[in-house]
Amino acid sequence: MASVTQPQIGIQAAERAQVQSRGRVRAVLTYVVLAVVCLIIIFPIYWMVTISFKTPHDIYRAPSLVPHNMTLDNFRTLIVKKRFLTNIRNSIIVATSSTVISVTISALCAYSLVRFKYRFQGLIGRLILLAYLTPASLLFIPLSVIVARLQLGNSLHGLIIVYLSFSTPFSTWLLMGYFRGIPADLEEQAMVDGTTRIGALVRILLPLSLPGLVAVSIFTFTGAWNELLLALIFITSENKRTVPLGLQYLITGDTFLWGPIMAGAVFSALPVMVLYFLAQRFMVQGIAAGAVKG
Amino acid sequence: MSGTARVSRRHFLGGIAGTAAAAILAACGGSSATNTPNAGTGSTGSAAPTAAAAAATSAPVATTAASGSTPASTAAPAVISSTGKMTYWGGLIFSDDANNLQVQTIKDWGTQNKINIDVVMINQNETNQKVAAAVTSNTMPDALDMGLDLLLLLSNQKQLLPLDDTYAKIGKAHGGWLKAVDTAVDPKLFGGTRNGIPYGMGGNVLFRRTDVLKKAGFNDAPKTWTELSDMSEKVTKPPLYGMAFAISNVGDGNDMVYIMQSWGGRVADDQGKACTIKSPETKAFLQWVTDEYKKGQFPPGVTTWDGAGDNNAYQSGQAVFIKNTGSVTIWMRANDKDLLNNTLYSAMPRGPKMLVSPSSPVIRGVPKTSKNPDAAKALLEYLANKEFTQKYYPLAIYGPVLQDETTYDLFKTDPVHIGLADLVVNGTAPAFPDVSNTAYADFNNNYIVPKMIQRVVIDHYDLDKAIDEAQKSGDAIYAKYK
Repeated sequence: MASVTQPQIGIQAAERAQVQSRGRVRAVLTYVVLAVVCLIIIFPIYWMVTISFKTPHDIYRAPSLVPHNMTLDNFRTLIVKKRFLTNIRNSIIVATSSTVISVTISALCAYSLVRFKYRFQGLIGRLILLAYLTPASLLFIPLSVIVARLQLGNSLHGLIIVYLSFSTPFSTWLLMGYFRGIPADLEEQAMVDGTTRIGALVRILLPLSLPGLVAVSIFTFTGAWNELLLALIFITSENKRTVPLGLQYLITGDTFLWGPIMAGAVFSALPVMVLYFLAQRFMVQGIAAGAVKG
Repeated sequence: MSGTARVSRRHFLGGIAGTAAAAILAACGGSSATNTPNAGTGSTGSAAPTAAAAAATSAPVATTAASGSTPASTAAPAVISSTGKMTYWGGLIFSDDANNLQVQTIKDWGTQNKINIDVVMINQNETNQKVAAAVTSNTMPDALDMGLDLLLLLSNQKQLLPLDDTYAKIGKAHGGWLKAVDTAVDPKLFGGTRNGIPYGMGGNVLFRRTDVLKKAGFNDAPKTWTELSDMSEKVTKPPLYGMAFAISNVGDGNDMVYIMQSWGGRVADDQGKACTIKSPETKAFLQWVTDEYKKGQFPPGVTTWDGAGDNNAYQSGQAVFIKNTGSVTIWMRANDKDLLNNTLYSAMPRGPKMLVSPSSPVIRGVPKTSKNPDAAKALLEYLANKEFTQKYYPLAIYGPVLQDETTYDLFKTDPVHIGLADLVVNGTAPAFPDVSNTAYADFNNNYIVPKMIQRVVIDHYDLDKAIDEAQKSGDAIYAKYK
């Protein structure tokens, strides 16, 4: 057994110190980079929040990181004068309904396309992708004709149906990718044990696909929550405006009401932020699975 | 720990789902309860409260409104035939008070005449998209507010009812239409008929910061564009800039067209048939504007400004001169009295060849698909009454359209209204000296002139190359309408 001499101990200690020092430098660099990235991401949100508490005069004439004359007037204007809570209520109705309906339909649709074999199955899958890829700006005129003929104009249920025409293909496409990653053997096993196909779908496939379903739901909800162009075309009455439309109406001509706009942005970002925060684990899993197996 | 977190998250989600469901139920109930007077357009098929029988017994409108709103001085027809339900798309402007007054006045008129009027204020930034969809789906309102470009477009598409008789009646009752207004809606430009009733004249007024200019020894408004750029050069000291004029692809960027015209440059020939932007006059204008840009007199970002760029620059105290229709004044009145007191207004300066200071009317029209054309016409006639316009003009920043309106105190006392009244009298017709037609509107919608300037100041084209490109684009546009 070789004995360790004094100089060797010194060298080892010096090497250890060097490694520790390198580790510290790496950690510091990592945190610096993370801090910069966080700053880039958080600063616009911070700016939005601070502007929502500033007076119109200070917004323009006294730009500062912290409001000098804190005011709730922007929120008061937004809620009392502009009746923004009605916009939020409408958006909750539209986004929730279109999410629930879209996810239900697309889960069944994706299941059919992934598990069954029938004619034109591949073509239908591609058509769904095509429908998802068609820009809304090309479709708003034909859609407006259909909506008018069905007498669904200026109504929230009309808007929900219009949103379904975009969200269902997208949800189906994402869920197809997710369902493909779950072995069909599991459902077959359950059916051998006596359950029906619907039972296998509900009891086996859907619980296993929860991350995918949550991810799709959040995407659909966010899409409906933020959508502006179609709402602009199909909604006319003030009491049926959704959140993006409410915010849009805070810009009249060449004048931007920055205070109420930022207060509205804070309000409208909250539900989506809460949703993402709660479901972030599912989101990452769901999107990753759908993306690689699509 | 994570298990606890999972359970609480699930509970939380459950709570949110429950709350959302309750909100949906409550909202659905609430919406039906609150919808009655304002429940959407005719396309939704909601029941009309009263029909022709009720309308046939309606009272004349030339009486004071029961609800205490504006009485009518212009007598409307005693019996107005209608379906009992109308939709009006008003043009939303920055002044909430003006919007509310218009909505209330229209609703009161409807009440007096037993017509349930759904007045929907449409953001003017979105009117074109909404009208495009409504024309295609046959869901146009019974009457609407619009700008001159939309009037031209809808007239060309034969989407509007001729309103010659209503136009003549209103003119007769109020001492006649002002010449600039009459010219702007000249039937020659709109297929031979008057398709709209003007209710205000808008246009740019030159705003200037008197505190800054006085310190530099300038007490009067600039009379020419070159005088303005000289003054600007003396006072520009970043972050304060002299010439806060948009050179971007927005409506404000097209103001560069009339500055170019004041240099003698022309978009098209006298017939309005062929693009003639390539000329020595255009080159002289382009030389001037790009030189001033290179001297740093324009604020950073003017080539990408949106329509609010000049408002933002002036309201933040970083601009000495802007061209604006008056929305900045409304904002200053409410939020910045100091800036308001340090602001004066004047007409647009002259160019080396002429003065071009366009004013353009805002117009009310009746789509040909209106189910209530008589009622719509009667309403437009009513809205020209003196009692209403006397209250409306101070709230909305418009110049007068009728002779009688020029006598209102406002047009003699309020600086910005004085400027607008002056613009109506001394301003130039839309598109002058060019011909206002669809090709001209298309040319402007493609922002050819601001793009030409951008080519020089951003892409470093030489002047001739930039003008050649503008000419080529203009040729393609005008060729479409030959």
